[in-house]
Amino acid sequence: MEVTGNLKTAREMGLVACTECMRVSPRGTASCPRCGHTLRSRDPYSLQKVWAWWLVGLGCYIPANLYPMLETKTLVSSQSDTIVGGAVELAHGGNWGVATIILIASVLIPVAKFVVLAGLAIGVWYGPRATQGRRHVLYEIVEYIGRWSMIDVFVVAILSSLVQLQTIATITPGRASLFFALSVIFTMLSAQSFDSRLIWDTNSAGMAPDRAGRIPGRRRTLARGN
Amino acid sequence: MERISIIWIVPLAALLVVLFIAWRSYADRGPIIQISFENAAGVKEGSTELRYRDVAIGLVEEVGFTQGLDRVLVSVRIDNDVAPFIDNEARFWVVRPQVTTQGVTGLNTVLSGVYIEGLWDDQPGGYVNRFEGLADAPLERQGNEGLRVTLRASGRASLIENTPILYRGVTVGRIGKPSITEDGSSAQAEAMIFAPHDRLVSSATRFWDTSGFSFSLGPGGAALDFSSVASLVAGGVTFETMVSGGEPAEPGSTFTVYPEESSARTSLFSADEGEALSMSVVFSENIGGLTADAPVEMNGLKIGEVTSLNGMIDEEEFGDNRVRLVVSLSIKAGRLGLDEGAGSEEALEYFRDRVEDGLRARLASASILTGGLKIELVDVPEAEPATLQQGEQDTYYFPTAESDITDVSATAQGVFERINALPIEEVMVSATDLFEEARALLASEDVRGVPENLNSLLGDARKVVGSDEVQALPGRLDALIAELDKTVAQFNEAALMTKLATAVDNASDAAEGVSSAVEGVPELVERLNAVAAKAESVELQEMAEELTGLIQTTDALLGSDQAKALPGKLNGALSELSAILTELREGGVVENASSAFDSASEAADTVAQAGKDLPDLIADARRVLAQARTTLDGYRAENGLGRDARIALSEIQKAAKAVASLARAIERNPNSLLTGR
Repeated sequence: MEVTGNLKTAREMGLVACTECMRVSPRGTASCPRCGHTLRSRDPYSLQKVWAWWLVGLGCYIPANLYPMLETKTLVSSQSDTIVGGAVELAHGGNWGVATIILIASVLIPVAKFVVLAGLAIGVWYGPRATQGRRHVLYEIVEYIGRWSMIDVFVVAILSSLVQLQTIATITPGRASLFFALSVIFTMLSAQSFDSRLIWDTNSAGMAPDRAGRIPGRRRTLARGN
Repeated sequence: MERISIIWIVPLAALLVVLFIAWRSYADRGPIIQISFENAAGVKEGSTELRYRDVAIGLVEEVGFTQGLDRVLVSVRIDNDVAPFIDNEARFWVVRPQVTTQGVTGLNTVLSGVYIEGLWDDQPGGYVNRFEGLADAPLERQGNEGLRVTLRASGRASLIENTPILYRGVTVGRIGKPSITEDGSSAQAEAMIFAPHDRLVSSATRFWDTSGFSFSLGPGGAALDFSSVASLVAGGVTFETMVSGGEPAEPGSTFTVYPEESSARTSLFSADEGEALSMSVVFSENIGGLTADAPVEMNGLKIGEVTSLNGMIDEEEFGDNRVRLVVSLSIKAGRLGLDEGAGSEEALEYFRDRVEDGLRARLASASILTGGLKIELVDVPEAEPATLQQGEQDTYYFPTAESDITDVSATAQGVFERINALPIEEVMVSATDLFEEARALLASEDVRGVPENLNSLLGDARKVVGSDEVQALPGRLDALIAELDKTVAQFNEAALMTKLATAVDNASDAAEGVSSAVEGVPELVERLNAVAAKAESVELQEMAEELTGLIQTTDALLGSDQAKALPGKLNGALSELSAILTELREGGVVENASSAFDSASEAADTVAQAGKDLPDLIADARRVLAQARTTLDGYRAENGLGRDARIALSEIQKAAKAVASLARAIERNPNSLLTGR
């Protein structure tokens, strides 16, 4: 959706909205008169936070794929599966549906999240490749679906709590489940700390605003102040 | 520069933590040791543990092969704190489930998977990283150190793996895996006597096998003996130090396990008996019953045993191609009782001397019941000269003598055959016939009639005795005796006494003839003496000739006229006496029946008088005999004719005594001649 020429952003009009209660106050006000939240036009550290969380999330995602997710001990055997390995086992066992769900939820979505978040953050820096509307839609999707990656962790938790039959069958969560959960949490935090208004802060020339949220005259101009 | 957000702490911290953990785990990681196994069944990468005292201290990281693919190489990462103790004395083996007669071990490995167990001492040594894994658990386990010895089975003793070694019923050790000795003669196994019982084993200890049971039948009765049900099934070895004076056993020393306690005890005394001397004996008779291990005895003492029996055909040596049996003996030099330190050489010399003196080997019965044989070395008197011959390859051949086998079976068989040959049937038939005839006889009319006849006879006899004539008989006898007296008086008048005297003179002449005949006896006796004196030194032939001459002389003597005349003279005397008696009979009694009885008393007187002369006669005869006796005494001969003559003369003396007593009796009571009282 494009912003037509007569519509102005709050920022252009010198107003700032409280992110908590949405009361619009003039720019320069320190705190919101209604809820007391600190008024800030743009989060200056947003992208840093995004990248920080993104890196930790990625760092947790790697061992989540290398370590086993579930350890199954029966009377005669002991089995440890990673995420992908378990899905492949299930697929070999004929459980295509479950395998598909696991692959989507535990591989596709987190990877997509990483890619999209990185893309969004880079787009804010270097100029977007997609239109603003699309970017925002992507952001929304990521924000919404991200939590569903926890499904795999739920599966592990439920199985572990149910199958505790001592020697006959025991399922314990492997180390990967912890890392995977952390990875999901960090990507969620990363997505959360992405200020979506930055998507829209391109100048009329289509230039992205700088880190501080100001629209630069040229790329990556570091300007202080507002 | 805009401010760096504080959020960067989070990734930074995460990174630091990761790095720190990585470094820590890398630094804490213990070294890798490689163990090669013959068989690594059940060992899995990443899950098989290495345990020490049942605590996991390592993990198998990789399972591969050695170069050449002949052994499985297992790489184990061990904990750092244990690594210094794993030196080159460490041993590793795979613990698997095992079911043995001693019990089931390692059952938990069925569920949990096999694990590798390690054993090392508590002295840290140099770190070694390449080991050869054992195929089985070693003998000593944790806390079970002790004395390691080698046991060698002898005879029927059996060594079974993992059987306990018992001492007075308590398990004090264990036998390891048996193997065959290098020369293939017996089985041997490593055994471990656990501390503190290892001090019970010394060099004088003897081991024996207590597995199974033993049954013996002897003079004391039957005995069945086994030590425990476990050892009955699975076997066991026990030991005892039987004599004092042994030194504590060294680790690695070898002990022999005997089949039973008795042979263990006897081995004590045969321990230091020196070398064994091997000899051979060749028998040409049947040696059924002689087996290897049969004893070789000398004077009843067992000095060795038979080692083997072989056949031999040697035409040049023996002259025919019959199979002869060569028995190989092994004689312990120490048992002969030679000096200390005597070896087989001295024993050989000793035997050489004894063989020349007549020592021979022969078969003898060892047991009458079983027919077993043994070999005896005995001094055979008057044996043919023989020496200890040396055959090829340093074997010595002992000369042999006749066997001394009591073949009970043959004797018994002979007895049975004789019993068999008895004509029992004929005897039975004869006896049956006899019985039948006896029965017939008894049943016959005549025999039946005998009691009736007897009865009638007795009745008649009674009638006779009761008859008047018989009653009158004593009276008549009295009258008869009175008449006899008278008859004797008549005899006197008829000068019968002169005739009697003449008869007696003749008898005395006869006695003189005997004495003269007896005079020839001393010469005979002398000759006999001479013959007897020569008996020992003279050859049989000469002795036979002498005896023949003697016999001829004896014949001549006996054939001489004087000897022949003896019976003639006696005959004459006797015939005169009989004539007198005939006259007596025909003469006076028939004619003068009554007057004979009247003169009976006078006859008795005359007889009495005659009886007075008899002692003088007898005294003469006695004098003659005494002369003969003294003559003979001078030429005393222990045996032969002299002794017989003496015996004859003593008989004659007895006869004379009897006559004298008869004469005295007649003297005392002349009526006794007639009445018999």
